[in-house]
Amino acid sequence: MEKEFTMDQAMQEAARCLMCHDAPCACGCPAGTEPDRFIRKLRLRNLKGAARVIKENNALGGVCAVVCPTCTLCAEGCTAAGLDRPIRIGEIQRFLVEWAWQTGFAPLKADAPNGKKVAVVGSGPAGLTCAAELARAGCKTVVFERQPEPGGMLRYGIPPHRLSLDFLNREIKDIEALGVEIRCNTAIEKAADLDRLLSAEGFDAVFIATGAWSSVALDVPHRDSADIFDALSFLKQAKTDPQAFAARVRGKVVAVIGGGDSAMDAAVSARKAGALDVYLFYRRSFAEMPGDSEEKRQAISAGIHFVILTQPTDFVIENGKLTGLKVVRTRLDAPDASGRRRPVRMAGTEHEFQADLAVEALGLVPPQEADSFGLPVDAQHRIIVRDGAGHTARPFVLAGGDAVRGASIVARAVHDGKMAARAILDELKSRG
Amino acid sequence: MGKLNDLSINFCGLTLENPVMLSSSPVSNTGEMVGRAFDAGFAGVVYKTIGKGAFEIIHPAPRMAGYDYEGRKLIGLQNVEQISDRPMNDNLKDLKYLKKNWPKKAVIASIMGFSRDEWRELAIATEDAGADMLELNFSCPHMAIEGSGMKVGQAFGLLKEYTEIVKRHVKIPVMAKMTPNITDINEPALYAKQGGADAIAAINTVSALVGIGLDDFTPRPNVFGFGAASGYSGPAVKPIGLRCIAQMAGNPALGLPLSGIGGIETWVDVVEFLLCGASSVQITTGVIHYGYRIIEDILEGLSDYMGEKGVTSLNQLVGRALPNIVTPDRFDHARQGIANYDLDRCVGCGQCHIVCQDAGGQCLTWNNDRRRPVMDEKKCLACMICSFVCPVAHPPMITFKEVPNKPAVRPPAME
Repeated sequence: MEKEFTMDQAMQEAARCLMCHDAPCACGCPAGTEPDRFIRKLRLRNLKGAARVIKENNALGGVCAVVCPTCTLCAEGCTAAGLDRPIRIGEIQRFLVEWAWQTGFAPLKADAPNGKKVAVVGSGPAGLTCAAELARAGCKTVVFERQPEPGGMLRYGIPPHRLSLDFLNREIKDIEALGVEIRCNTAIEKAADLDRLLSAEGFDAVFIATGAWSSVALDVPHRDSADIFDALSFLKQAKTDPQAFAARVRGKVVAVIGGGDSAMDAAVSARKAGALDVYLFYRRSFAEMPGDSEEKRQAISAGIHFVILTQPTDFVIENGKLTGLKVVRTRLDAPDASGRRRPVRMAGTEHEFQADLAVEALGLVPPQEADSFGLPVDAQHRIIVRDGAGHTARPFVLAGGDAVRGASIVARAVHDGKMAARAILDELKSRG
Repeated sequence: MGKLNDLSINFCGLTLENPVMLSSSPVSNTGEMVGRAFDAGFAGVVYKTIGKGAFEIIHPAPRMAGYDYEGRKLIGLQNVEQISDRPMNDNLKDLKYLKKNWPKKAVIASIMGFSRDEWRELAIATEDAGADMLELNFSCPHMAIEGSGMKVGQAFGLLKEYTEIVKRHVKIPVMAKMTPNITDINEPALYAKQGGADAIAAINTVSALVGIGLDDFTPRPNVFGFGAASGYSGPAVKPIGLRCIAQMAGNPALGLPLSGIGGIETWVDVVEFLLCGASSVQITTGVIHYGYRIIEDILEGLSDYMGEKGVTSLNQLVGRALPNIVTPDRFDHARQGIANYDLDRCVGCGQCHIVCQDAGGQCLTWNNDRRRPVMDEKKCLACMICSFVCPVAHPPMITFKEVPNKPAVRPPAME
């Protein structure tokens, strides 16, 4: 992770803030973290109050501070950019969260037990946020996680150079301190599981936040090789077994396919672990890449070779071993449905590109198993909800995060978790 | 640095090569230090106050504390350092060394006696050591020795008497250094004049507490469990220094040359002191913050300013602001105006709207869509607080504009 702000740096950055009347930064935060308030509090030397604002608004305020694409959210509308450059909101936020950790200040407290019991399925950002909000209000909250450790995509999908495990564990500890129970290695995946939770186990409501864990794969004739990875399993190994990961990529030529955050993460992780060369193939131009501009910048400085306007058409495999990619140059035509210009293959430019490993980072969708909850889903297996709170077709079962949206950013998952918790609390209250 | 204009100035009969001297403080503690300041460009020194040595001077540890604001270091500085803790003879030797090696620089000896005899003996000894002038320290606000420093500056009769004693025994000019910790700076200044003083220096430090520890309940600097009100200096006190100089310069009964002191760091500060009537200035805290090298920028800035104003001698600037410094009863209340907004340059933070609502005349509303303030000119008090918080400066986006025939604005009665 990047070096954190010192107290002086944070104070000086806060002193640059224009303390706007209408606070565009606050409007830009999907998680509702209210940067205008925590920056003002820091400036007025109310550090505890500042940390309190962050955590009360966003139980994952630390994680968001380090992984959020601030330049497209809170910092995008920052008025200080009209003078020189936006306030470094993420760095200030991280400083305050870590200051609270270092000084032993716990901003969040749980109310007395209210007798309600809520189950949360999935311990990613949506689930953890929802659980934290419910626990604060006094609900007995249990998070069910199929993986061995909590955090979901935060733990297994974001590489350590962006979010260290220590940092994540520390923030999860804050949530557990509210009384949230996290049961790992416990999959909840079927309609019958929901029935059991809501009847036999006595839960009053369930929030489903199982995420988007299925990688989109290239539709190519040849792909049967252990040298071809989806970005998620590649990143998961980088984080959970760095030694094995390094042994796998060291000295190798790695081809990463895709232009989003996962592609940048996979490419930089491979490079940091000792890959000889990392090529990032993207079929449109640099401007169309969906990746966060800060991540792109980091990928460039990490020495990733960007091969743009180039589309892989097949893998070249000999005896199960990857030797390269077949690629073709593209040019950009009129915009497609996504609003970005559509790449068109240029005849006669087909060629082969040598590579030892390939990583497909073409996007994530909820897995097909998401259908087994017995809730209506769309064609991409996303659970269909009827409102912003995440109400599903089944009473007292809400859903949010990537399981509903498809792959999105952490701050939106936090938003969903908050909205669902609020709705659950309201309904349980009116039910009495 | 290119060739500078002639920055020389006449101060109390001395021709200084420029108006800027070190003041009597830690920055003028030894001959070696002052020599380096001279080489850097300071025109003179008021050497660290010399005592007779009858009472041993021991400085407390720690002896200073900084005052910071929003991450900006040292906008003020508090110290509990007293007069020189060196033997008198060491200091006299250093005065001789400085005068011998830098004959064109002004070497002014600051002295403080603890009895009539000591004042006399110190005056004679420092004149003999070659001092060009004496400064009588009537103003240190934190002397540990009863009845000295500021206590003399507050007891006008004593101040006058000690000045007379010194004047009787030396030929060189004598300057009295004033404390601001009194009601009217002109009172002690006039007593010093009656005692024969040839010039006045002001201000010494302002008695202050820069802060109290929230855990130890002890002022800063915390000297093993205790703190004391003591001398506060730096940019935060410049406005007080300027006011004191202007008050004395504007007093026809005084009519003495003035050496301006208080928070000077830049050439702009120096010009302001000159305009208020000082004909030399002295610096300490600026050097404590940045070192002697600040003199390069002060001199260069003064030289360029002279060029811009078509001034051939800095003497022409001394006191130029005085005709415009009046008492508030002389203001022309018939002329009113408004805060005038150059909205093309507005960045849209809305701080103007907030302060106008909470501290001004409630003349600004806020256009949410355009993110711009909208003014009802009839309600503008022209208090200008909006311009103080506006981040668009240099040149400011909000400026005062006179509006002919506009009546003074008063808040309306509650409906």
